[in-house]
Amino acid sequence: MKLHAEDIFTVLVVLSFSAYLIGYLELFSGLFAVVLLISTFVKGQLISDYFMDLKEVEPKYRLIPTIWLIIVLSLVSVAYILPVTT
Amino acid sequence: MSEIFVDKKTYPHGDFAIWIIVYVELLTFGLLFVGYAYSRRVNLQMFNDSQLLLNQTIGFINTLILITSSYLIVRGVETIKTMQLHHRHEASMHASKWLLSAMILGGIFLVLKLSEFSNLFAQGITLSTNTFFMFYLLLTMFHFMHVTLGVVILYNLYRKTKNQGYTPTDCRGLETGAIYWHLVDLLWIVLFPLVYIMH
Repeated sequence: MKLHAEDIFTVLVVLSFSAYLIGYLELFSGLFAVVLLISTFVKGQLISDYFMDLKEVEPKYRLIPTIWLIIVLSLVSVAYILPVTT
Repeated sequence: MSEIFVDKKTYPHGDFAIWIIVYVELLTFGLLFVGYAYSRRVNLQMFNDSQLLLNQTIGFINTLILITSSYLIVRGVETIKTMQLHHRHEASMHASKWLLSAMILGGIFLVLKLSEFSNLFAQGITLSTNTFFMFYLLLTMFHFMHVTLGVVILYNLYRKTKNQGYTPTDCRGLETGAIYWHLVDLLWIVLFPLVYIMH
């Protein structure tokens, strides 16, 4: 299935609005935290693949933003998940 | 004479240099994002209290603005790449309107960020107030400078497009500028939940 710019734009808006709702309703914990991080990854990947048009290029170019997203979001997740010792 | 056949799908669009810039920016902001997350662990309560002073709604509106402007640029580039040369004038005018709209949205983003900054400064908040605001102001002001440069780039792309400066086979400058703007969008996509939502 070929995705159009409008499809990508719609998904980005919906995911951003859901992130905003998570913050607005103060739901950031447990499952919602995971949802927020995954949706951030998906949004970043959509921008990289479809807006930057990296989907069709050699994997070594396409994978750099993907790896960046994975590393940054994983490290951020660990920082938020690990218990804080006082 | 030998010919070099290059598969256009092999390499990313735009100048090679822009991709060096993209990767360097990703690395720089990535380090700041991770630094923010781990600094928060040391001062959890202070970070949570400070985050309450931020306006999530403005952050969300700014997210929508950047996403929409990125979409408009995609449409502008698409219009140039699919135009037929005998319709060059119409297509260029059409594409320039997409770019102008994206530029205006970039300008609105800057105005909203300035209002956020001035609101914080009016409360006496500076880089040295605490670690949270040091990271917040560093990240958002650094990003603000990128958006400012992006708006200048978009203005130049708009003018050249309006003057029929791009064709489907000669639009590398347009693609390069577009990639830069998408980078600005990509960085904000991570910055927004990290600074405004997660606490």
